[in-house]
Amino acid sequence: MEQIALVSFWFAMSLYMVATVLYAYHLVAKRAVFSWYATFATGAGFLAHTAAIGFHWAASGEVPLAGAFNSLSLAAWVLVLIYFVVEHLVRLKLYGIVLVPLAFVAMAIAQISLRTAAGVELPDEALAQLDSWRVAMHVAFIMAANAGFAVGAVASALYLLLGSQLKRHKTSAFVRRLPSLTQTQDLARRAIMLAFPVYTAGILLGIIRAIEFDLDYWWFDVRVMMSGVVWAIFGLYLLLHYRRGASGRALSWLALVGLVAVIVLAVFARTLPAGFHIFGL
Amino acid sequence: MHLTLVGLSHKTAPVEIREKLTFPAHRQEEALSLLSATPDVAEAVILSTCNRTEIYAVTAMDADGPGAIIDFLADYHDLDRHDLVRYLYFSEGEAVVKHLFRVVASLDSMVLGEAQILGQVKEAYEAAFSNDAAGRIFNKLFRQSFELGKRVRTETDIGENAVSISYAAVELARRVFDTLDGRTVLILGAGKMSELTAKHLVSNGVKKVLVANRTYERAEELACKFCGTAIRYDEMFDRMGEADIVISSTAATHYVIDKEQVSRAMRGRRGNPLFLIDIAVPRDIDPAVNELADVFLYDIDDLSGVVESNLEERMREARKAEVIIAEEMAAFEQWLESMEVVPTVAAIRAKAEQIRCAEMEKALKRLGGLSEKELKTVEALTASIVNKMLHGPTARLKGVAAEKDGYSYVEAARFLYGLDSNPDGENPHAGLIKTLLGRAEKAAERAAGKAANKEMGDTIGC
Repeated sequence: MEQIALVSFWFAMSLYMVATVLYAYHLVAKRAVFSWYATFATGAGFLAHTAAIGFHWAASGEVPLAGAFNSLSLAAWVLVLIYFVVEHLVRLKLYGIVLVPLAFVAMAIAQISLRTAAGVELPDEALAQLDSWRVAMHVAFIMAANAGFAVGAVASALYLLLGSQLKRHKTSAFVRRLPSLTQTQDLARRAIMLAFPVYTAGILLGIIRAIEFDLDYWWFDVRVMMSGVVWAIFGLYLLLHYRRGASGRALSWLALVGLVAVIVLAVFARTLPAGFHIFGL
Repeated sequence: MHLTLVGLSHKTAPVEIREKLTFPAHRQEEALSLLSATPDVAEAVILSTCNRTEIYAVTAMDADGPGAIIDFLADYHDLDRHDLVRYLYFSEGEAVVKHLFRVVASLDSMVLGEAQILGQVKEAYEAAFSNDAAGRIFNKLFRQSFELGKRVRTETDIGENAVSISYAAVELARRVFDTLDGRTVLILGAGKMSELTAKHLVSNGVKKVLVANRTYERAEELACKFCGTAIRYDEMFDRMGEADIVISSTAATHYVIDKEQVSRAMRGRRGNPLFLIDIAVPRDIDPAVNELADVFLYDIDDLSGVVESNLEERMREARKAEVIIAEEMAAFEQWLESMEVVPTVAAIRAKAEQIRCAEMEKALKRLGGLSEKELKTVEALTASIVNKMLHGPTARLKGVAAEKDGYSYVEAARFLYGLDSNPDGENPHAGLIKTLLGRAEKAAERAAGKAANKEMGDTIGC
């Protein structure tokens, strides 16, 4: 079963890579048919990825949430899922050029450097803490919200790029193929607006679990504190937008700052030995 | 058979000549039937647009195709043949295919990359097809040209970027707002240029038009044209907050909109962008306005710059289109070459069958009194020998026909099997590609050491 999971994983990764090449070719050659091939490859990759996660789950008998490998693989899966939602809702195939390679890179990093870390031996106490639906939901919610924040930040970066080109009265051939300014703005707002409550729910579930186990100073943890920073940044984003009517440029920069915080939290904070997040999540 | 083109366009004839040589849609049927009735013309398509009139024809090999078409043009429009010839261009053979493909790809248009020409060529072909003026050659040639037109549109950006000031403004507005459906435009000043730009915007979906002018009556007049609303000049800054696009074209000699006023108008817009187009000279809007967040200001020079860079972009894309044209020309030639092999194979088989039957008859006379079973066996034996002998050569002939210079194999086969009826051994059917695309003449010209002279004077006696 584990072998099938491994083969499916490689298969999914290869398909994402093929999709990335096809999306890039679509952008350069402007052949609509290649965007269909790319979407097809992404869809097939997503199915293979789902199968890989499913088989891994069946083989280990545990929800595949523990370990950096599982986290990154799941993040890539959620990213592709969100890409399909974006493509369906806003008909913007171009995001495939950004999001599918991100998923591919996440899987490649997971496969190359983190798969061995999946088998981290956890103390019994930690395993007991993990054994709850709340923990599963906590991780899933945080993952989904992070993917949503990533989509919002990517759209914000495109907004800034487009805005700066329009301001300078110059547009490159690449920029001409990007969606319009208001489309990127809408996508960023919607993605962050949807991700924020999910992130809040994820954090709350984590807090409830920590309180259940009566952990001392549960808040004095790098990742808990960083997640508070991420929550504050995106909360400020929504507040500035809905209450203050802040400019699109200011909000876009804020979304990018938020993404940096997410990356610091997800990539760097996990490497610090301090705190109670010792599960390698 | 020979491909021939005679025509005139904005490049060769002024409008007063072009307007005399048009073939309006309601007269195409009559013109096509007259042209088809000409003994030298086998197939014909008449393309008539405001910028060009062109007659494409498949003419008899030994006829003066261009001369016949010019006669038709002069007679039909009751013009002096010698006067007319000064404005005409003509091509024969391969050059006709290339010209048609360039026309359809809009590389020969007045505005490079314009989109209408493909539809106009389609209409011309459909008129010819429905009047039985288009035959096998033109059915293939024109249908392929439409495929080429689509390829050029989809695989290059030749028609993507606006090349007029007013349309450039619309295109930029689309880059900001995606769709203009339901957007509001505020027009300051009721000049012609702002009217034209507003017209483009409204035809692209802008819902609400507000017009402000120092003379209120003039504002009302312009607003009326777009079913819009006229507003008092001093109200314009209060109403600017409602607008997505502002077009300014007043006759003022100083800035009428400054940074502070726009900054106030931007409050409460929740980051929604404002696109300002200043087409007045001297300018109406302080350039410092462009420094404000979510505000995008374009003056007349900026728009001209966009148009210029778009034109350059189209020129670059035209080079890609030329590559597509070369590919499609090769595909058309391949089709012509492959088309020749079918009648050749049929003729070889027919000749072999004729010989077999004749020899069978002779042999049966000599043998005499064969039973039915023996007769059938001899019949099957001879048929089998003929089939086996012919299978290899005909299959290989079909195989090489699609290759470059495939027609030379077909010609060789016809020569070797003696299929040509004339005493010189020349095939009346083979060499279709040479004749249609004019390669035979080119080869002869090269052999004679002459430069190919395609000027029409010699051909039509001018």
